[in-house]
Amino acid sequence: MTPFTVAGTSLSSRLFLGTSHYPSPQILSDAVTASGTQVLTVGLRRLQPESGGGNAFWQRIQAMKTHILPNTAGCHTAIEAITLAQMAREIFGTTWIKLEVIGDDYTLQPDTHATLDAATTLAKEGFAVFAYTTDDLVIAQKLRDAGCAAIMPWAAPIGTGRGPLNPFALETLRRRLPDAVLIVDAGLGRPSHAAAVMELGFDAVLLNTAVAQAGDPVRMAKAFADSVSAGHAAYESTPMPERAAAQASTPTVGVPFWHAP
Amino acid sequence: MTIDVSLNGERLSVEPTTLQALLLARGYKLESAFACAINSTFVPRPQWPERALINDDKIDIVTPITGG
Repeated sequence: MTPFTVAGTSLSSRLFLGTSHYPSPQILSDAVTASGTQVLTVGLRRLQPESGGGNAFWQRIQAMKTHILPNTAGCHTAIEAITLAQMAREIFGTTWIKLEVIGDDYTLQPDTHATLDAATTLAKEGFAVFAYTTDDLVIAQKLRDAGCAAIMPWAAPIGTGRGPLNPFALETLRRRLPDAVLIVDAGLGRPSHAAAVMELGFDAVLLNTAVAQAGDPVRMAKAFADSVSAGHAAYESTPMPERAAAQASTPTVGVPFWHAP
Repeated sequence: MTIDVSLNGERLSVEPTTLQALLLARGYKLESAFACAINSTFVPRPQWPERALINDDKIDIVTPITGG
């Protein structure tokens, strides 16, 4: 697959994978291997001293030797997200941050205004901001102008698996932001969904639940890897234009059984 | 005289102390992977030994977990 560059890093895999909700740590590890992903997302939560810290999980993730993309999941204000990003930078030793500022707890729709405020500050502080957002074009343009490394619109609400609910909006983002790194971040449920957004020209997809909650997460991880590859190849190959009317594939010249009256 | 602080949401009354001393007293292992904020402001690790706690400080300590 053609590599792409984000935040100054060349990646040959266009599939980013989350690390939550897997049946076991071993299945997570096997799914990561099967997917061929080079980027894993992780989170941060309060530590109680008796829990021993997140060392076991962190060491397991480090052993997978991928790039780490910490998130700010759970934050509801720009200040919270900025602070959590700074804490993540110290723990993980990376300037990469998946910026999430949630505006509605039922749909987990991002607060795009707070996201833009946080992105602006974090970019100035040297973070490579991967901004989770809606498919709103104007906000995406402002996030690009704020210096985000990647803009990550949802396809559908997080964890719903409904696939791209508004392909036209996603297509518009690609057309209007031809030079931005665009990664579909949420709502994909099936490999066909991933192929569909990759065919629109998205640079990559990020998913978690669709793999982790599959009946066989390891096979599903491979299925998604294949679909991402297929969708990207299709985009690079320029799909045929749609037509309103049917057009025969077999040449019509020389059709038998036709005779002039 | 004690001060009242909140540690990961738990209210505590403690003798005036530093952030690092409180962490050690509460059983945190400094070599573990975690980061601290006070009153929603990040406190870099090198500042822990010097950061004096004051009344009503709200301390958050976070560690890596799975995430999407």
